[in-house]
Amino acid sequence: MLLLKICPALLTTQVHLFRGDLAFSAASHGPFRQSFSSQAFYSGTLEWSLFSLGDPLPYPDWCCRKGPSEGRGLFSRQRALAFPESSTMFLLLPFDSLIVNLLGISLTVLFTLLLVFIIVPAIFGVSFGIRKLYMKTLLKIFAWATLRMERGAKEKNHQLYKPYTNGIIAKDPTSLEEEIKEIRRSGSSKALDNTPEFELSDIFYFCRKGMETIMDDEVTKRFSAEELESWNLLSRTNYNFQYISLRLTVLWGLGVLIRYCFLLPLRIALAFTGISLLVVGTTVVGYLPNGRFKEFLSKHVHLMCYRICVRALTAIITYHDRENRPRNGGICVANHTSPIDVIILASDGYYAMVGQVHGGLMGVIQRAMVKACPHIWFERSEVKDRHLVAKRLTEHVRDKSKLPILIFPEGTCINNTSVMMFKKGSFEIGATVYPVAIKYDPQFGDAFWNSSKYGMVTYLLRMMTSWAIVCSVWYLPPMTREADEDAVQFANRVKSAIARQGGLVDLLWDGGLKREKVKDTFKEEQQKLYSKMIVGNHEDRSRS
Amino acid sequence: MGNEASYPVEMCSHFDTDELRRLSKSFKKLDLDKSGTLSVEEFLSLPELKQNPLVQRVVDIFDTDGNGEVDLQEFIRGTSQFSVKGDEEQKLRFAFSVYDIDKDGYISNGELFQVLKMMVGNNVRDWELQQLVDKTIIILDRDGDGKISFEEFSAVVRKLEIHKKLVVIV
Repeated sequence: MLLLKICPALLTTQVHLFRGDLAFSAASHGPFRQSFSSQAFYSGTLEWSLFSLGDPLPYPDWCCRKGPSEGRGLFSRQRALAFPESSTMFLLLPFDSLIVNLLGISLTVLFTLLLVFIIVPAIFGVSFGIRKLYMKTLLKIFAWATLRMERGAKEKNHQLYKPYTNGIIAKDPTSLEEEIKEIRRSGSSKALDNTPEFELSDIFYFCRKGMETIMDDEVTKRFSAEELESWNLLSRTNYNFQYISLRLTVLWGLGVLIRYCFLLPLRIALAFTGISLLVVGTTVVGYLPNGRFKEFLSKHVHLMCYRICVRALTAIITYHDRENRPRNGGICVANHTSPIDVIILASDGYYAMVGQVHGGLMGVIQRAMVKACPHIWFERSEVKDRHLVAKRLTEHVRDKSKLPILIFPEGTCINNTSVMMFKKGSFEIGATVYPVAIKYDPQFGDAFWNSSKYGMVTYLLRMMTSWAIVCSVWYLPPMTREADEDAVQFANRVKSAIARQGGLVDLLWDGGLKREKVKDTFKEEQQKLYSKMIVGNHEDRSRS
Repeated sequence: MGNEASYPVEMCSHFDTDELRRLSKSFKKLDLDKSGTLSVEEFLSLPELKQNPLVQRVVDIFDTDGNGEVDLQEFIRGTSQFSVKGDEEQKLRFAFSVYDIDKDGYISNGELFQVLKMMVGNNVRDWELQQLVDKTIIILDRDGDGKISFEEFSAVVRKLEIHKKLVVIV
């Protein structure tokens, strides 16, 4: 704005010099016009003043405005003539084209860098190690930040509240029978016999259990994001950490700048590239005749595009026990935290996906993918028919040339601190099950998709503005259903193995409780258990 | 028994500021409709609580003013009775009030039957349950009024070291 004010001043002087010979004519129009023109210069915009300067000839009422296009044309023709001495003018003159040039050069450089460092390695599956370096640097910064916060909190003399991931109370996991027996035993001196009876103290167990649940329950906390013990400089995870120091705030601000202005556009560009390559590539491969070449190409197109998407999220993945990777004719099951799980697993192996047909962009991707290799997409109406789903899966699995199926038996996204009930459908089919455990490190970015809070697009944006997605993937040895166990027991066995490997809590509760209410059958089970204790089984009673 | 409501929270609760803060967080999490009070439905939204046959009784005990909902003060006071620092008398009173539905200071035959019915559901026949109830009252009722008073209750239960059993460590 200052420039705009100075310019007219300079220009006015120039005008006077230039039009010195015309002063007569200007003056002849009266002082009003003269002052009006200078006023115009001072008050008008840069454009306006430039336009009027572009007049080659002294029109009698030259201070009246001309249209922009007219003025500009005249102006540009005359500018070399008009004010050769005004150096400041020349700085502004090539303003537009300089910006454009700079932009062009920087974009080209950016794209070349992108290509060399990210896309080409993705195609061949190698890595420069840039992401690991980035992760190490971030860890150092977080450690420093937490230290500062603890020091700051100590100075201000209040406790730095650390959330406990295992709950705020210490729980005693005993069963109903054990605990009630223990209570009775501590009271009575007589030897414990198994005669069923009732004691007033029996309510203690229920009360205590109830209180524990009220204060901190095991189930509903799995449906919201995990709380971190130290702050990772993202305001979205800042539950309890108040303002401590200027340095920390500056660091946070810097982090915001880097994440939103540098990393986010980069990631969006990569994601765009990855998805469009996937769609185009699979469509092209789809036109080839069926055969080994088509399979080979399809596999590599898929892998390449998933690897680009992995880099788009700055996902740093560590694969363990890769020799146990799923083979053809098997089913791969994993715990579900977010839709990103698919990208993570599919960038290291070639799977047939199972899912519902979506509309929009997802639908386009699905239709393109199915041309290149046989994924299993269900129509919305077919999903409800469990037998149909099971039939199609069985058919797929029976054909040994077909790819391993990727399934998430929990059926919904859980927050990666526990594994919830596996639905038994995929375990009834009878194929070899390859369990996979995925554990995210929430320090760099929480990957959990809370679908009741965020939509898909918001979620992806949040992913792309976190520091990184760091996770570990363990391929567990394959399991098959044994002769004496049914599908539910088999599912539980697989679930325990996954939970143990990933360091997650193994829960029997159904993930569907995120949306549905609990059935009364649970209460009835407890009631049945207790009634056995006080009146015994029906057989005992009939005998006595 | 009735004048607990007039004490301010700090005097009644055994929690320090850190624990209070954590409990307030749990309260806010339970309060699904953000009304500032917890209704029985909000309690029952917890799957593990739905499993518990005595949840209605526990909520009733929390609700000291009897308006059907539990506000934050009642919540803190209620959970404080399960604190490690609580005294035995307080815990005994809590256990007693689980049975004493009408809060008249006595456990009557009907009240005992109701509570037992909650715990066993439909797995025990009513006449069997009634037998159990009658037997218990005969054994415990020393003054012969047909009801169990607090003194009779605590005489039996005190030796069970209740202060160790009714404890939740926050």
